[in-house]
Amino acid sequence: MIETAERALIGCVASVDGKPVSPTEAIYEAATLLANSRSAVVAGLGTDVAGARASVALAQAIGASIDHMDAGAVFANLDVMRRAGWIVTTPLQTRTRADTVLLVGDGLLEAWPEMADRLGLDAPPTLTGGARRVFRLSSGTVPPVGAATILPTLAALRALVAGRATSLDEGAFRPLSDLATALAEARFGVAIWSGAELETLAVEMLCGLVDDLNRKTRFAGLPLLPPNGAEGVTQAAAWATGFPVRTGFAGSEPLHDPWRFDARRLIASGEADVAIWISAFSSTPPPWDDAVPTIALVASGTAFGTSPAVVFEVGCPGRDHDAMLFDPALGGIAFAAASARRTVPSVADTVAAIAAALPQC
Amino acid sequence: MLTRLAGGRVIDPANGRDAVGDIWVRDGRIVATPDHASADQTLDVAGCIVMAGGIDIHTHVAGTNVNTARLLLPDLRAGSAAASVPVSQTIGRLYAAMGYTMVVEPAISPHVAPQAHLELSEIPIIDTAILTVLGNDDYLLRLMANKESSAAIADYAARVLAGSGAIGIKAINPGAAASFKANVRSFGLDDAVPNSDITSRAIINALQAATESLGLPHPLHLHCSNLGMPGNVETALATMEAAGDVRLHIAHLQFYAYGKDGPRGFSSGAARLAEAVNSRPNITADVGQVMFGQTVTVSSDVLRQFNARGQAHPRKSIIMDGDGNGGGIVPYRYRKTDFYNAVQWAAGLELFLLINDPWRLFFTTDHPNGAPFTAYPDLLALLMDRSLRAQHIETLPKDAMQVSTLASITREYSFADIAIMTRAAPARLLGLVDRGHLGPGARADIAVYRPQADLAAMFRDAALVLKDGVPVIRDGIPVAQPFGRAVAVRPGFDSAADRGLAAFYDSIYGVPHTAFDVPAADLLGRTQPFETVPCRT
Repeated sequence: MIETAERALIGCVASVDGKPVSPTEAIYEAATLLANSRSAVVAGLGTDVAGARASVALAQAIGASIDHMDAGAVFANLDVMRRAGWIVTTPLQTRTRADTVLLVGDGLLEAWPEMADRLGLDAPPTLTGGARRVFRLSSGTVPPVGAATILPTLAALRALVAGRATSLDEGAFRPLSDLATALAEARFGVAIWSGAELETLAVEMLCGLVDDLNRKTRFAGLPLLPPNGAEGVTQAAAWATGFPVRTGFAGSEPLHDPWRFDARRLIASGEADVAIWISAFSSTPPPWDDAVPTIALVASGTAFGTSPAVVFEVGCPGRDHDAMLFDPALGGIAFAAASARRTVPSVADTVAAIAAALPQC
Repeated sequence: MLTRLAGGRVIDPANGRDAVGDIWVRDGRIVATPDHASADQTLDVAGCIVMAGGIDIHTHVAGTNVNTARLLLPDLRAGSAAASVPVSQTIGRLYAAMGYTMVVEPAISPHVAPQAHLELSEIPIIDTAILTVLGNDDYLLRLMANKESSAAIADYAARVLAGSGAIGIKAINPGAAASFKANVRSFGLDDAVPNSDITSRAIINALQAATESLGLPHPLHLHCSNLGMPGNVETALATMEAAGDVRLHIAHLQFYAYGKDGPRGFSSGAARLAEAVNSRPNITADVGQVMFGQTVTVSSDVLRQFNARGQAHPRKSIIMDGDGNGGGIVPYRYRKTDFYNAVQWAAGLELFLLINDPWRLFFTTDHPNGAPFTAYPDLLALLMDRSLRAQHIETLPKDAMQVSTLASITREYSFADIAIMTRAAPARLLGLVDRGHLGPGARADIAVYRPQADLAAMFRDAALVLKDGVPVIRDGIPVAQPFGRAVAVRPGFDSAADRGLAAFYDSIYGVPHTAFDVPAADLLGRTQPFETVPCRT
């Protein structure tokens, strides 16, 4: 098994306690840590579909739990979706059909720097033609209502769209009322937000607004998804386990609990005694430093406070190696050929090698 | 290695066999009885029933809509065996335990094919295939609006089939999803997509023509308009008429078997539909039986799902204005005490029992829309045992039974009927010459059932299942977990079609037209390459 790992990990750069070691030694050390642990967590999960698949399989094999480094943003969207439902669309439908676009929040460009270009926001809808009107609901574009967050503004807008009375002062009423009118005039409108920025209640209010608009016209949401492969990992976790991340595999059935299986909480409380930290897209170190022995699968050049117990450098999916990835411009999982191929193990290869080295039970 | 399945009752309608005897297997294939060889392994199946592995032609087991249903309903615990949308791993295990060895996921829009194939790659044991969905896609509508030739449409369909790794073409309420994006709220067979003269009927005929000219083994697989609506039996009849004498498969016919008779304006129209199917040899259909309990409806008929949101149980739903069809996820509970649900249940059984030819009628619940596939054993028992049906009818609302002919029907399915409907006929419908039968040369996909008084128990836990000659199930329990193949057609197409499509994607979507192509099997994590089904010449 170990020899197989060696072959699979050609180009592997690994260290144990900060000292360079052979892949064999690193795999042995990682497997030993996991074998001796009571309760492990596979966290970070900044990886492609193959990496997610291997990570879930490993977690299932050892009764660990899984979490993603951007789970907060994942659940800002997902909690609304699964509590209330929603009406959503794709980036391509937005580009081709949206005559009205509502950009919500200040964080859209951060979430998707190429958004305006890829959605063609400055041009008419490519399929349906005609004008495209783009509205911004962010700090500075519309007078804030009440508190500094966007939630009360969205609430007021929704009330205006529904024709309900508001207690807005004149300065806030006029622009919001105009916006409400414009949204109702949309033929196919799209509201865009980023789960990384908006709080869950704001997302729910916005989705409620979209729903209300569908009484008379067509409107849909376009949630921008968190980075670090979060959507691909969420999808892969769902078809493999029935749940998104923050799911544990210690029992006979998977158990999903976003509070309980928050990796940071598991580590802070001492419930998890070993962590695997995966970050293949960005050089992000584990947020708990050395609070528990950590096996880090990270992009090259990642700087740590304290050296993790074991470090493997892994390739960036879609750049260093071929990958199946969620592509925000496509709105789905697709094949991404390596853009600058090099010989470096993937997350999937590395996790599989660790799993293969575990003692059989 | 030479294996002998000894002494079972071999029911193999494709080869006209129903007798006690042996089946011989070598290297994953069924072989003729050898003259002098002795078996390396003998599996004693005396007293058991031996059939080819089951094939499900219409079951929603993968893709973004199914996966969204899992995410929408964490309370339904998709990771458990009792789930209405089980996870990939469980799908393979539970299907194999029932003696099934292949399933077709029938609703994959081309742009979500990569994810669907990733999900299928994690379904163990059984073989899989997808149907690719056309009929609401922008490019087809563009071709039709421009009055392009049927050859151009066929080339495009071939290009999509190749890109999405599909075994056939499905149309789902063609024209309706595109129209819904323009705020159309109802869409019938002769309604036109806004700003065009393209009707649902025209799209159906165009895709039928493409299917036939490409020589696809599977006929156009159609989800008609007006699903679930009272009086929609007229839609189904008109759609059959619209098909002319060209092959057409109508999916989940039960959901179109509704009349408007009776005091509540809702009745079973199944008898009329059955008569129409019986008299039209070009038509095939699967039933989409409703069984009582909690499930979730997962459909690419986004318009229908939008209109069904008010009936969601629990009260939440998802609507996706997707590329092409999109879809909707609406959880639903079929209740025995509900008049409408009881009529649906009865209408499905009437279709099963009144359509005469088991070669043209297929066994489905439209999983999970009518019921999860785990209800199959109970449904098989209902088809084979009229006294069991009578017991159920007793427990259902009397007024519902009064608007259905079910109580008067005495037919009971034989094992041979079951073997045709779930094995021989599906293989023929999909063009799979080495599946669905037990003759020499067939894949050794074999299901062995132990007869018992409880028919459902018999079908739920097969005594033995072989996949490609390897025992995978014993007494309903997995004993090996190989991975099956993904099966697809690869019709050729004119490269001019590819250039036209490339230009369209570039200018309209701003992405390469190859962006959604399903990559080679190994890049999906598959251990075996795609299996190609030849087109008819």
